[in-house]
Amino acid sequence: MVLEALEREGVEFIFGYPGGANLPIYQHLPKYPKLRHILVRHEQGAAHMADGYARACGKPGVVFATSGPGALNLVTGLCTAYMDSVPMIAITGQVVSTQLGRDAFQESDVIGATSSVTKHSYLVTKIEQLPRVIHEAFHIATTGRPGPVLIDICKDVQQAIAEPVTPAPVHLPGYQLNGHVRLNDARRAAEALSAAERPVILAGHGVLLSHAENQLLELAEKAGAPVGTTLLGIGAFPVNHPLALHMTGFMGTGWNLKAVQNSDLLMMVGMRIDDRVTAKLAEFAPKVKTFIHIDIDGSEMGKNVRPDIELVADARQALEAMLPHIGKLDEGRGRWLAQIDAWREEHPLRYTHSNGHLQPQDVLIDMYKRCRSEAVVVADVGQNQIWAALWWNYDRPGLFINSGGAGTMGFALPAAIGAKFGRPDLPVWCVAGEGGFVMTAQELSVAVEHQLDIKIVLLNNFSLGMVRQFQDDFYGGVRSHVDLTHMPDFVKLAEAYGLPSRRVDTLAEVGPAMDEAERTKGPFLIDFHIDPEANVYPIVPLGKGLNDFWEHPEID
Amino acid sequence: MLSVEVEDGTNTLTKVSGLIRRKGFHVRAISVGPSQVPGRFRMTLAIDSGHAEADQVRKQLERLIEVISVEDLTGHELHSRELVVATVSAKEVAHLTERGAKVLGAGPDGTTIEFTGDASEVSDFVDDLASHGIVDVVRSGPVVMRRTA
Repeated sequence: MVLEALEREGVEFIFGYPGGANLPIYQHLPKYPKLRHILVRHEQGAAHMADGYARACGKPGVVFATSGPGALNLVTGLCTAYMDSVPMIAITGQVVSTQLGRDAFQESDVIGATSSVTKHSYLVTKIEQLPRVIHEAFHIATTGRPGPVLIDICKDVQQAIAEPVTPAPVHLPGYQLNGHVRLNDARRAAEALSAAERPVILAGHGVLLSHAENQLLELAEKAGAPVGTTLLGIGAFPVNHPLALHMTGFMGTGWNLKAVQNSDLLMMVGMRIDDRVTAKLAEFAPKVKTFIHIDIDGSEMGKNVRPDIELVADARQALEAMLPHIGKLDEGRGRWLAQIDAWREEHPLRYTHSNGHLQPQDVLIDMYKRCRSEAVVVADVGQNQIWAALWWNYDRPGLFINSGGAGTMGFALPAAIGAKFGRPDLPVWCVAGEGGFVMTAQELSVAVEHQLDIKIVLLNNFSLGMVRQFQDDFYGGVRSHVDLTHMPDFVKLAEAYGLPSRRVDTLAEVGPAMDEAERTKGPFLIDFHIDPEANVYPIVPLGKGLNDFWEHPEID
Repeated sequence: MLSVEVEDGTNTLTKVSGLIRRKGFHVRAISVGPSQVPGRFRMTLAIDSGHAEADQVRKQLERLIEVISVEDLTGHELHSRELVVATVSAKEVAHLTERGAKVLGAGPDGTTIEFTGDASEVSDFVDDLASHGIVDVVRSGPVVMRRTA
């Protein structure tokens, strides 16, 4: 019954792990060849694979796990998807309905444990509920602001036999999508944007989720307004466009932060305006006279920043509604863009070039040349993530996948595996630090088993780099428990898992190793031993406003 | 003060209260009962927060699929009623019945009475009970409707 319903919803891949409480589903799985099941090595890996799959191809990722520990191992992955609004369906086995609440073997209150990290959840205790629940779950996960939905199914329901039924159309009085759309002020927003002297547009994940990249470009060009992106919005706007401000926020580019802080109108599209975007809220964009906020989730309006004009809608719908009303632009616009060009010259991205160590930026610059503005890049969390974000160089919309909201270490490898299943036509690069990589490294088996063409760029600095940098700069210089000298030899680890790899210590070896990785079919790992003291810049000191960003200390 | 129409479900109360906790608000009083629509319940929540924050609670509650609608009653003219049931040791409760209390039962251990009123009337009434020797007091949360008549 479950599997029939999944087929009906058009599911291609299931990332899962069997166990006592979902065995009835697994018993029937071989009879459904259209559902391709990927056996993971840990349930967290399944959730991140489903997440990477969904972000790469736009379809909801599907996860199976058993009750108790199996389901609870999903929590981090569900939270990651929830924070970044990724559509996902997690189907967990639960003990038989008559045992519920009796602390049966491998029983846990999965609904209770996951309520705060799912968009919605269901406990299914009767077979009759199942067709409706599965149909509703897909509807909820994929519409409006997407998110993960969990379905906890009692084992006796999995075993029950019922005539297949086509579920009735979804009827959810508490989930009325169109009732929440508010576009009345689209014209006002467009007129304000045109009339502003110093406008800035910031684009978030919502632009990518609604495929509004072209509308964003058109609007920016028509309105002569520069565009920055959030960390999750990277890929929404070509970074080499004359209007590009690149990444904003806590570790954003200097010219972006200058523009945001000096703007008189700030239009924020498909984003939550969280603390990583604003830094100290009281000092965020102090010269702005008009805040425009566009988001599909009305509860975001005024949550962090009170907008003067709010459009509650899908980003594409909102931008399309604004486009016809862009009027005559303010005469000061040329001066503003010239000023931004000056800031771009004044505050370029910089890094150390010649201290004898391999620099992570050099590795990424080489990688991005090979990406040719089309590869899917999946980053982990920490310094590797920000370096990969800042050196992103695509001249058209692209996929940069990372855990922005939850900041989940160990995300990159399983998410890259999921992304490759979702977009087999595109090259996939996985960028990770060694700290995060070992958190989910067991999923290498999946990459090898399916001979997935994933190139793993391990930026190995023998420490928890971002934490080390924070300790150095913001916590009295006390290096406390950040040393990762005792780690596996990653070349031997790769060999043990059965994939080819190389270790690289110098700049001269980067190109040949990358060439080999590209030539090799299937997964390939490169263990780059990078400068252990390399830092992320710019950075806004903790607790400070965006004006106070630090740049790379020395130029060589 | 929020009036929330919800779907009747095993997880509804947990979802509503969990969300309020996560967002850092405190429920001072709550009352729940069936609404006139079958399968739906009406929750009345008195929440500690300023008006701007109550607005954010309303928006967050509206995101829950179990929640049909939320009305923020803050600042509106209201009919707000609470119920108190009390047992006092005194046999003579004329003073209380004159104030509108109704006797539910009397016995050797005392007299059980009920009283309804708005929050301050009920509080005053409870204060008055002290002189009659309180054995037990149970108080409901508010049941609230916007004043249209």
